[in-house]
Amino acid sequence: MSTNISTTTEAGVTVRAGRPSKSPTRMALERFMYNKMAIASSVILLLIVIMSLAAPLLTHQSPTVQDLAHTDAPPGNGHLLGTDTSGMDLFARDLYGGRIDLLIGFMDMLIVMVISMVLGGVAGYYGGWVDSVVMRVCDFMFNFPFLLLIIILSAILNSTSVWVLIGVIGLTAWPGMTRLIRGLFLNLRDSEFVLASKMAGAGPMRIIFRHMIPSVMGTLVVQATFLFAGLIASEAALAVIGFGVTPPTPSWGDVLSNAMGYFQLATEPYAWVPPAALITITILCINFIGDGLRDAFDPSFQV
Amino acid sequence: MGTYIARRLLGMIPMLFAITVATFLMMHAAPGNAIEAILNPAIKDPQQLQQQLLHANGLDLPLYQQYLNWIGNFLIGNWGFSFGQHTSVLSLIGPAIKNTLIMSILAEFFTLIIGIPLGLFQSRKPYSSFDYSTSTASFILFSVPSFIFAILLIYVFAIKLRIFPSQGSMGTGPGAGSLIDHIYHALLPAISIALVSLAFYSRQTRGAVLEVSRRDYVRTAYAKGLDEGSVFRKHVLRNAMIPLITFFGFDFGGLVAGSVILEGIFQYQGMGLLTITAVQQRDYPVIMATTVLFAVAILLGNLLADIAYAAADPRIRYN
Repeated sequence: MSTNISTTTEAGVTVRAGRPSKSPTRMALERFMYNKMAIASSVILLLIVIMSLAAPLLTHQSPTVQDLAHTDAPPGNGHLLGTDTSGMDLFARDLYGGRIDLLIGFMDMLIVMVISMVLGGVAGYYGGWVDSVVMRVCDFMFNFPFLLLIIILSAILNSTSVWVLIGVIGLTAWPGMTRLIRGLFLNLRDSEFVLASKMAGAGPMRIIFRHMIPSVMGTLVVQATFLFAGLIASEAALAVIGFGVTPPTPSWGDVLSNAMGYFQLATEPYAWVPPAALITITILCINFIGDGLRDAFDPSFQV
Repeated sequence: MGTYIARRLLGMIPMLFAITVATFLMMHAAPGNAIEAILNPAIKDPQQLQQQLLHANGLDLPLYQQYLNWIGNFLIGNWGFSFGQHTSVLSLIGPAIKNTLIMSILAEFFTLIIGIPLGLFQSRKPYSSFDYSTSTASFILFSVPSFIFAILLIYVFAIKLRIFPSQGSMGTGPGAGSLIDHIYHALLPAISIALVSLAFYSRQTRGAVLEVSRRDYVRTAYAKGLDEGSVFRKHVLRNAMIPLITFFGFDFGGLVAGSVILEGIFQYQGMGLLTITAVQQRDYPVIMATTVLFAVAILLGNLLADIAYAAADPRIRYN
C-alpha cells in the first residue's frame, strides 16, 4: 500500500492513484495473504482435509473391520496406533473420522447459514410483528431440549446416522446466527442504498439477497467460519457424552469418547491423544482463518 | 420499570407453555415407553403388568389429558416420581441444582476475577507485547472446546499428579458432603469452563475499553484536565462495563443449566448429568422438570440482562 501515491483533496477525501483500482474482494484477499497465522492455518487445514479424503491411500486398514485377535492392543501388529476395545484400527479411524467431522461441520454450516439468512434477513428487513415472531421462535429454540430430539429421532430411525445428526444439529443451531444477521439487517434497513433500491421498485427478496446480503458478506463469511469450527466441536462434544453417531461409523468424537475411561487415559495415550489433537488443531486452524478473514474484510485494518 | 418486569414475566408463560408442549409431544413420539424400559421382559406376562402400570401412572390416557394432569400437578409442587431412579423428582432436583450451582458459581468466579482484569490490562497498553501475547493466548483458549481442557486437566491433575478427583461431586469418608469437599470436586470442571469463558470476557473487556477510549467524551474529559486515573475510572470503565453486564445476565441462565458436556465427562451429579440420564432412560417426569427449570433460568437470565442494561445505562428506559 505504501507505494500508492495518495492525494488528499480539500474536502479531506483521500484519492488513491498510481495503480488500477481493485475490487474489495481482491483487496481483502491481499490483506489475508499478509496474515502469516491465517496462511499457516489454511495449509494445515488443507493437509487435514487431504489426509481424511486420501485415507485409503495412507492405510490399508479398514476403520470398521474388527481384528478380534488384537482387541484393545497397543501399537504393533500392523496397527499403527493400536486398536480399540472392539479391535478396530485406531489409525484408520482417526484418518477416516475426519471425513465425518468435516462433513457434519460443513453441511451444518450451510444449513444454519441458509436458515439464518432467510429468517434473520426477513426479520431485520420487515421489523415489526414479523421480527417479533421470528425472535420468539429463536427464544423457543434456545430452550429446545435438543438432546431429547437426537434420542427420539435415533429411536424412531433405529440409529443415529450421520445425516440424522446433521439434521438435528442444523435444525437446532441456527438461533444465534439468526439474531446476529437480524441485528446487521436492522442497521441496514434505513440506509440510502436500500431506500434507493426500494424506490427503483425492487421487491423485498431482491433487496435482501441482491443488496443487503452482499453488503454484509464479509461479516457473514467470517461468522460462518467461526460457526464451522463451533459445529465440529458440537459433534465431538455430543459423541463424548454418548449422543454421537452410532458405531462403527468413525468420527473423531467417537474415537475420543471410546478412549476416555480412567485407565485408557492413563495408559493408552495413543488412543486419545490423536483424536483430541486433530479436533483441537482443526478447530484452531479454522478460527485463525476466520480471524484472518475478519481483518481482511475490515477496511480500517492496516497491514 | 415495575410494569416492564411484570409484562416480561407474563410474557414467559406462553413461551414455557410452548416449550413444555413440544417436550411432552417429543417424549411421547418416541417408540417404547418408560414402563417398558424398566420392566424385566423375562417375568411372567410382562404385557399385562405393563398395561397395569401404564394405567396406574395415567400413561394410557389421551395425550392432552396427560399433559393437563402433568401441568396441574406441576403447578401445585407435585413434580412426580422418577421411573428410572425410583424416587421423587424433587428429591433428585434438589441436590443436582446444588451441585451445579457450586460448579458454575466457581467457574463464574474464576472467569470474572481473571477475565475482566486481564482485558483491562491488555487495553491499557494496546498492541504492546503483553497485549499481543495474552490476546493470542485468549484467542486460542476461546477456540479450544472446554471438553478438551477437561481431558487434559483430568490427565494431569487426576491421573498423573493424583491431587484431584477425576469424577463425581463428593468424596467418601469424614468430611464428605461438606462445602470444601464439594468445591474440591467441582474445581476441575469449573476450571474447564472458566478457561474458555475467561478468554471470552477478556476479549470483550479489551474490545469494549478500546472502543470507549476513542469516544469524544473521553477526549473531552482529558481536555478539561482530568488525570488519567479518573478518566479511566469515571468515563471509560463505566461505559465499557455496559456490554459486559449484559453478558453476565446471560450467564445467569447457564448457572442453573450448568454444562451438560462437562458434567457428562466428570460424571458430576448436577442438572446436566441428571438430564442425560433421564433422556437415556425415557424418564418423562425428570425430563419435563429439568426442561422447565432450564427454560425458566434462561428466560430469567435474559430478563436480568435487560434490567441490568437499563440500570447501567441511564439512556435506556423501558417504559
